[in-house]
Amino acid sequence: MRFVIIGGDAAGMSAASRARRSDPELEITVLEQTQDVSYSA
Amino acid sequence: MIDDLVVRQADVFRNKMGIEVLTDHRAEGIDRVGRVVTGKGPQGVFAIPYDHLLVATGATPIMPRQPGWDRPGVMVLKSLDDGRRIKAFLASRPVRSVVIVGMGYIGMEMAEALRAQDIAVAMVKPRPALLPWLASELVETVSATLEKAGVAIHTGFDVAQIVDDGDRLQVMAAAGASLTADMVLVAVGVRPNSDLAAAAGLALGPDRSIAIDAQTRTSDPAIRAAGDCADAFHAVTGQRTWIPLALRANRTGWAAADDVCGKPVTLPAVVGSAVFKVFELGVARTGLTAKEAADAGFEPATVTIHTASRAHAHPGASRIQVHLVGDKGSGRLLGAQMVGREGVAHRINTAAAALHAQMTVEQFSQMDMAYAPPYGPAWDPLLVAANQLIKTL
Ligand SMILES: Cc1cc2nc3c(=O)[nH]c(=O)nc-3n(C[C@H](O)[C@H](O)[C@H](O)COP(=O)(O)OP(=O)(O)OC[C@H]3O[C@@H](n4cnc5c(N)ncnc54)[C@H](O)[C@@H]3O)c2cc1C
Repeated sequence: MRFVIIGGDAAGMSAASRARRSDPELEITVLEQTQDVSYSA
Repeated sequence: MIDDLVVRQADVFRNKMGIEVLTDHRAEGIDRVGRVVTGKGPQGVFAIPYDHLLVATGATPIMPRQPGWDRPGVMVLKSLDDGRRIKAFLASRPVRSVVIVGMGYIGMEMAEALRAQDIAVAMVKPRPALLPWLASELVETVSATLEKAGVAIHTGFDVAQIVDDGDRLQVMAAAGASLTADMVLVAVGVRPNSDLAAAAGLALGPDRSIAIDAQTRTSDPAIRAAGDCADAFHAVTGQRTWIPLALRANRTGWAAADDVCGKPVTLPAVVGSAVFKVFELGVARTGLTAKEAADAGFEPATVTIHTASRAHAHPGASRIQVHLVGDKGSGRLLGAQMVGREGVAHRINTAAAALHAQMTVEQFSQMDMAYAPPYGPAWDPLLVAANQLIKTL
């Protein structure tokens, strides 16, 4: 099962981390157009 | 340091959490039938299959299209790279004056940061009111604070074009006025990054945000959306709304993950709680303004009061202004706004809780609130305002 996330900031990385905690088997891929993920404005 | 803002680096997600993070990868298309995302990355085009897709593309600053807005020295602030660009520009030359186009919270926060470096700041906007959603007495406090801090306010200044003036920039209004600056910061608002979703045929909500349900699902159940690109239900109106803020982004991200992992999820509605700091002032709101209430079919009554931020005679007290909106028909509390040097940011959350609970102004006025002299008067400013508002309902 593959979970693909477009956008690696507040919403996208929250989802990625939470999904990993719930399901160690899930394949999680984040696509982020910049070099930065999860910054806080 | 800008890089201190990065909460967690991509490597931590990759190595410690087993999350594949592909930076420099821009998604450009969603094939909903084949369940594939396509786009461009450092190795050229990519096509990545999905079982579940989350669109968390956020929002983009609105950039006007008149001549000259593409000049170097015309900046926006959204991403870390924008911040790096602004810092590099400020370091690369003597910047004595900046024109900020737009007077929202980001513009005001930038005004404060620039004044702290002793840079002259002028803020311009086409419409007459500084913060159009804020009650007029509260606006007066904000503009007095800006002026005292040396920020020039030009309302009714509709920028027509920006032209080079030697090393500097000239910002010209449609009506003929002009301002000279070393840098122009554009902060006129954001729009949701929903083009990808729209091109894939997903249903859109207010302001072209992506419409989602209480499980964050879009009109295609294999695709969820979260954060600034997605809409929300408003707890006061029951209608769809678009209010792009950080808590909601984090919360919808969690909800999307839970839904993908098969956990039960029901996203709560929003009430639009927000706070920002402008010099020594806090400015906060939750719920509806009187105009939004009227537009939603309520019959709004309002009250604006001011009290001291601390008990009578407690040293260091300042003024807190409270504006409440209630509904004449039902007696419900519909919204609250506050401005003050202290005691504003967290006090607004009491009103937010009342909105979530759909309290009447009467019920709100009966709430048991904490009191000690350093933190407020015995009758909390919110209660003073509620007691006044009851009389007009
Ligand atoms: C200066 C500033 C101050 C702020 N202050 C506050 C505050 O005090 N309180 C508050 O609540 N909110 C604040 N906000 C708003 C807050 O930052 C946002 O609500 C939050 O960042 C939204 O997170 P998000 O993940 O939905 O979207 P974003 O942060 O916009 O992230 C979206 C990500 O998706 C990426 N992306 C977009 N399209 C693609 C694509 N096609 N392919 C790959 N990647 C893509 C982008 O590069 C970006 O990294 C502030 C915003 C700014 C700019």
